Amino acid sequence: MLQLVVCIKQVPMVTELPWDEKSGTLRRDLAPGMMNPACKHALEAALQIKEKYSAHITVITMGPPAAKEVLYEALAMGADSTILICDKIFAGSDTYATSWILAQAIKKQCANVDLILCGAFTSDSETAQVGPQLAERMNVPAVAYVEKIEVNGKTLRVRRIVDNFRETLEMECPALVTISMENYLPRYVGLGGLQRAFGEHQIDILDAAALGVGVGDVKQEGSRTKVRQVFLRKTDKENVFLTGVAVNVVSEFLNKYERKISTVIGKSIEGKNRTNEE
Amino acid sequence: MPYNPSVKHKLIRDSVRHFAETELASIAAEIDRNAVFPVEVIDKMKKLNYFGLQVPKEFGGAALDSVSAAIVVEEISRVCAAVGLCVTVHNGVAVFPFLQFGNKRQNEKYLPRLASGEMIGAFSLTEANAGSDAGSVETTAVKNGNDYVLNGTKIFVSNGGVCNLALIFALTNTDQKQLQSSVFIVESAYEGFLRGELEDLCGMRANPVSSLFLENCRVPEENILGKLGMGMKIGMTTLDNGRIGVAAQALGIAQGAFEAAVKYAKERQQFKKPIASLQTIQNYIADMATEQAAARLLLYRACELKDAGEPYGCEAAMAKLYCSSLASKTTSLAVQVHGGYGYSKEYDVERYFRDAKVTEIYEGTSEIQRMVIARAILAKLTL
Repeated sequence: MLQLVVCIKQVPMVTELPWDEKSGTLRRDLAPGMMNPACKHALEAALQIKEKYSAHITVITMGPPAAKEVLYEALAMGADSTILICDKIFAGSDTYATSWILAQAIKKQCANVDLILCGAFTSDSETAQVGPQLAERMNVPAVAYVEKIEVNGKTLRVRRIVDNFRETLEMECPALVTISMENYLPRYVGLGGLQRAFGEHQIDILDAAALGVGVGDVKQEGSRTKVRQVFLRKTDKENVFLTGVAVNVVSEFLNKYERKISTVIGKSIEGKNRTNEE
Repeated sequence: MPYNPSVKHKLIRDSVRHFAETELASIAAEIDRNAVFPVEVIDKMKKLNYFGLQVPKEFGGAALDSVSAAIVVEEISRVCAAVGLCVTVHNGVAVFPFLQFGNKRQNEKYLPRLASGEMIGAFSLTEANAGSDAGSVETTAVKNGNDYVLNGTKIFVSNGGVCNLALIFALTNTDQKQLQSSVFIVESAYEGFLRGELEDLCGMRANPVSSLFLENCRVPEENILGKLGMGMKIGMTTLDNGRIGVAAQALGIAQGAFEAAVKYAKERQQFKKPIASLQTIQNYIADMATEQAAARLLLYRACELKDAGEPYGCEAAMAKLYCSSLASKTTSLAVQVHGGYGYSKEYDVERYFRDAKVTEIYEGTSEIQRMVIARAILAKLTL
């Protein structure tokens, strides 16, 4: 039986959240959470592999206690077991630290993993880094933006679309794929599955101590990314309407913009023929 | 009392909302206009356990608690009340009586087929001369060998046009001094079970509401639900539960209309600013939001009492009375906020407005709810 691990993330339910300008982080408290859409596609891919080839699916997320919610949803969809990696010292971890923590959890709890599936990117920060970084941490081959997986024993044949080309690649297990949102449309969550998820399953919680992770590995100490500045892109352009008699409008237009026009057309029009018109 | 929703309730709400918005939002206006029952979407719902909300797992149901079941009905009705009606009638008044009164053989025979949606259920009490006065039914069931022979006409049967099984209330003793009614499990395949034309109604138009005719319809004696003569008891108990469903449906309609009104108020510019910046519109929004929050607590209180095995008839009546009145008020205000556009079929609030009204009528009118509540209050020794 194949051992699959799906890494998922809880993200805010709206796509555009305001930033906290002081801390440089998203105001995630302003919107309820949901499973990141691409992660849901990754879980769907795992479920389809399970249905076709027989597999055990472990779903892992790192987040605050509220992130349990997406694990229950994963159970309702058909996952077999779940792990919540949760510790206050993990707060503020960047992708570099996050991938390291995830790798520790997988090595500890799912040492015989055959395939790790991640969403290609998250809807809140969209770095698309955690999957490939995790592959490096685990020292396994990886293919990103996968839209189809075939399993033949311990060989995986995966297809992806890059730069309008369709690429088919093969690799040996253990391996990692990040799943794009082109295919593997997630199934609806059934009500019976939801009830069973809450009634029959238990979520394993791993903290820093359980993972043998110290403060130096995570948080800002273990994070290589420093957010220097966060700003909202502002457009300070405005439309200018020139009105009046045509000849005056043209004259005013040239007076105001002749330098810009010169730059664009690559030669000076300064003062040209201006007097002839008069 | 769930002042804060549990993780489970939030997930159920999110999941049903996602389904309803994906599958029903784009067709709700069209199936309303053309009075079409959306068979394909209903088939998808069957696979997701929407037809076995509270049926135990061993019969293939989802075994949800009552708050969860109410949330399901709320969220479907928030997008499409007519489909919400199909779900709440099936679960609340067709399946529920089996759970309460069905014997082992009846439950084993029918619950798996009801829970999977293979059979869609209906509940038929109302007749031309028996509405609020449930004691006046005229349909009769006369014993003949091992069968009962049913004759009569039921009207305004929700799901009537598509049901495969109907619970029929009929008199099993017509002697005025010993008047007795019973409930019969009648399969649509039985000879003598006929459907009338679909009703052309103001709202809930995508639900196939019809009359049912019983013409010498032979029903085996073993299909008497509970026991002979339990008609009134089953009817009253079922209506208590049905009221929770209609309250949830009304609340869902109110929620949908409220959200549409808030969205529109933020977008619509008048006097060079969004109308949401006008105090009158803000007052509407504040009142709608407050009353909805209150209604939701009233509804969930009835659900929790029911699950705790305590009497909940009075609380269900309060929830039904309040939520349905709120639905009418909120949908009317939502149309008002939309102005002329709200009166046009181009906007959903027009549909919500028409759908809301009947929640004050069926499963006991608001007048009957007040009667139920007052009786319960007056019967108490201490208040």
